[in-house]
Amino acid sequence: MPLLEVRNLHKHYPGVAALQGVDFSGDAGEIHAIVGANGAGKSTLMNLISGVTAPTGGEILLDGAPVRLTSPLAAQAAGVATVYQEFSLVPQLSVARNIFLGREPRGAFGLVDEARLNADAAQLLLRFNIGLDPRIEVSGLSVAEQQLVEIVRALSFKARILILDEPTAVLSLSEQDNLFAIMRQLRGEGMLILYVSHRLEEVLAIADRVTVMRDGSKVGTRPIADLSMDSLVHMMIGESRRSTPQRSAVPADAPCFDIDYTTADGTQAITVQRGEILGLAGLVGAGRTTFARALVGAGGRTAATRITVNGTALNNRTPEAAMRGGVVYLTEDRKRDGIFAGIDIIGNATAAALPLLGRLGLRNRGSEREKSQSILHRLRLVAASLDTPIGKLSGGNQQKVVLGRALMMAPKLLVIDEPTRGVDVGAKAEIHDLLRELAMQGTAMIVISSEIDELLGLAHRIVVMSDRRFVARMPVEAASEAAILTAAAGGTMTNEETA
Amino acid sequence: MAVVRAPRRLALDRDGIFLLLAATVIIAALTIPAFRDPANFANLFRQAGVLGILAIGQTFVIVAGMIDLSIGMIAGLVVVLSSVLLNGNAVLTLPVVALMILVGAGIGLLNGVLLNTLRLHPLILTFGMLSVLQGAIFSFTDKSVGRTSEPLSILANGDIFGIPWIAILLMGLAVGAHFLFARSRFGYHLVAAGGNPESARRAGINVERIRLAVFVISGATAALAGVLLAGRLGTGYPLAGNGLELDAIVAVVLGGTLLSGGRGSIWRSLAGVLMLAVISNVLNLLGVSAFVQQFIKGVIVIVAILLNQPRGANA
Repeated sequence: MPLLEVRNLHKHYPGVAALQGVDFSGDAGEIHAIVGANGAGKSTLMNLISGVTAPTGGEILLDGAPVRLTSPLAAQAAGVATVYQEFSLVPQLSVARNIFLGREPRGAFGLVDEARLNADAAQLLLRFNIGLDPRIEVSGLSVAEQQLVEIVRALSFKARILILDEPTAVLSLSEQDNLFAIMRQLRGEGMLILYVSHRLEEVLAIADRVTVMRDGSKVGTRPIADLSMDSLVHMMIGESRRSTPQRSAVPADAPCFDIDYTTADGTQAITVQRGEILGLAGLVGAGRTTFARALVGAGGRTAATRITVNGTALNNRTPEAAMRGGVVYLTEDRKRDGIFAGIDIIGNATAAALPLLGRLGLRNRGSEREKSQSILHRLRLVAASLDTPIGKLSGGNQQKVVLGRALMMAPKLLVIDEPTRGVDVGAKAEIHDLLRELAMQGTAMIVISSEIDELLGLAHRIVVMSDRRFVARMPVEAASEAAILTAAAGGTMTNEETA
Repeated sequence: MAVVRAPRRLALDRDGIFLLLAATVIIAALTIPAFRDPANFANLFRQAGVLGILAIGQTFVIVAGMIDLSIGMIAGLVVVLSSVLLNGNAVLTLPVVALMILVGAGIGLLNGVLLNTLRLHPLILTFGMLSVLQGAIFSFTDKSVGRTSEPLSILANGDIFGIPWIAILLMGLAVGAHFLFARSRFGYHLVAAGGNPESARRAGINVERIRLAVFVISGATAALAGVLLAGRLGTGYPLAGNGLELDAIVAVVLGGTLLSGGRGSIWRSLAGVLMLAVISNVLNLLGVSAFVQQFIKGVIVIVAILLNQPRGANA
């Protein structure tokens, strides 16, 4: 009998079926990897098993008996422990206090028995060969050490099932080896480890079985012996759904932006031409957004770029300077650093262009309205009135307004991070058309997207990032979902040129 | 990976207030003869007592990631109310003090309930409460009313073996608060709820209940401070509580506690209180006018807090 079994599991959100009838099982003493592209339903499945959300249909069985996991605590009590992608430790507390948070042993006068707390924690840490002093504060630990504390915390619940969601995304190679050693030890002790990862090489190295998900359904479960990188990628992407929309030709003599990207790992160069759309692919955490932000001087101290146009260096030390030089960045996170939710559409559209629209430091509402109207009309914005606060618009319309803001600056190099995230299908097509039109008019563009289809449909050329490096470059004619995914997952492939 | 690191023993950002306090006291003692007088020290502690009690309550609130602006007015309300109820009657002292603490705790409970149900920002909510209480005090009286009782007057002003009663009371309270804070489950969970509420919830900690508890503690300590303040003033002066909440917050922050929550200690807050008291005491001894004192105190506080700020981390 499998330790964990889910039968015909469904999860529907209004308008979306995130999971449609998944059957799945895992055995004690097994490392079971769950893979799939973005939006395949991996996280939803894990959330149901860890009690974060409730299924809309189907059942979950532990040792053959149906259970209802109504909260993370209920799941913990049933023996399911989860290490989340974002950490859930309290930085101000010590390692030991974090491990036993909410379950501190009590001694004399009802006070916490700190000695026993530290001893218990030390014992747990020792079991996994983790050389951390249980008394030190978590805020002083490295990310990898914090993750180990998370795992120890999860295991302290006497868990039989451990869910690890993208655990290696933040780890160095040696830290990763360390984690794998612990995973193998736990497997030896009869634990079922559900391992969610984008990194297929790691999956092939550590897992006993792999379940592949796609579009909210299970494609299949295979023992590792029957799998290769190729077959895994094939299962993940299924039938190829390539369409070849029109693409304008890039004039051979168009001026070129030469970009030198410098990080702690060294300097790499890429170029993008006026009239060209460069698609930047990669997994979450590959460093695409960091690169994009560095392009406009919003990157902080760890990453810097130097942009030269026909040999002339461009000032891109701050977003404002970059914008004056014609380099404009559109954020992937509209809510956080894109829109001003309480301000109306006009204010949002003209936010960057105000000095151009007013005089003597005063705003000119009339010209702002006029300019907004003409640009937003071009973007086919649907809104009752331009005086509506942008927060009340749909994601697609918000994105159009923010795009309109960028266009008002007449950018020469437009960097768009996830241009259609949280945007409905209709608006998505319109935004795609608009980007193509901009390219035709001579704007250079770098489009970052986690949707490979989107890149294949838009870009002239594709660059893949992995682990902060440009690992593969290909003209779109030579690119395929499989090739991009393989490169992004850290696999080897034939690179045209290696930076 | 296998690196063992010992916990930090002394760090400037954490323990700086103790060094600063010691340095100030030593310099003052060396340069100002009147400062060295034991009677002056006793006086200093008497002055610091009320603020110390307020700061203890505020430390709980701030570490939980909250803030309570209503404590000055709770103390002010208690000054007036207790003086009127007692009107010099020593026999009533205990029941009235008990009642006052219940009133303070009740107002704190109301703060906590409103905060949890209305999901208001504590700054706004307790500022509202400040205003409500101030209005209540002044609709009741605009001049001093009633008289405190003999026992309270002794507790607030008297000594035993040269040690002010109020200092003994404060130390007792501080020891209790320290154990609650640093050694009890409640204290651990308080830090967790202030440091990362989401993690605390995931660990099964009832964050809302903790917030409720810190406002009750804060209200009750404010009422206790109010009773003692009445003892010091002798009468129900309606303006007695004005601005005390800010002094208490400044003292806590001076002690190196971050307003963002999750970190703090009773002893460091008390060191902050003593620091403020020493500064005012020294300026008094030097004969600096009250207005100039305001000014100098403000500058010293800003500089001290700047020096005290943890570098880099979540400032």
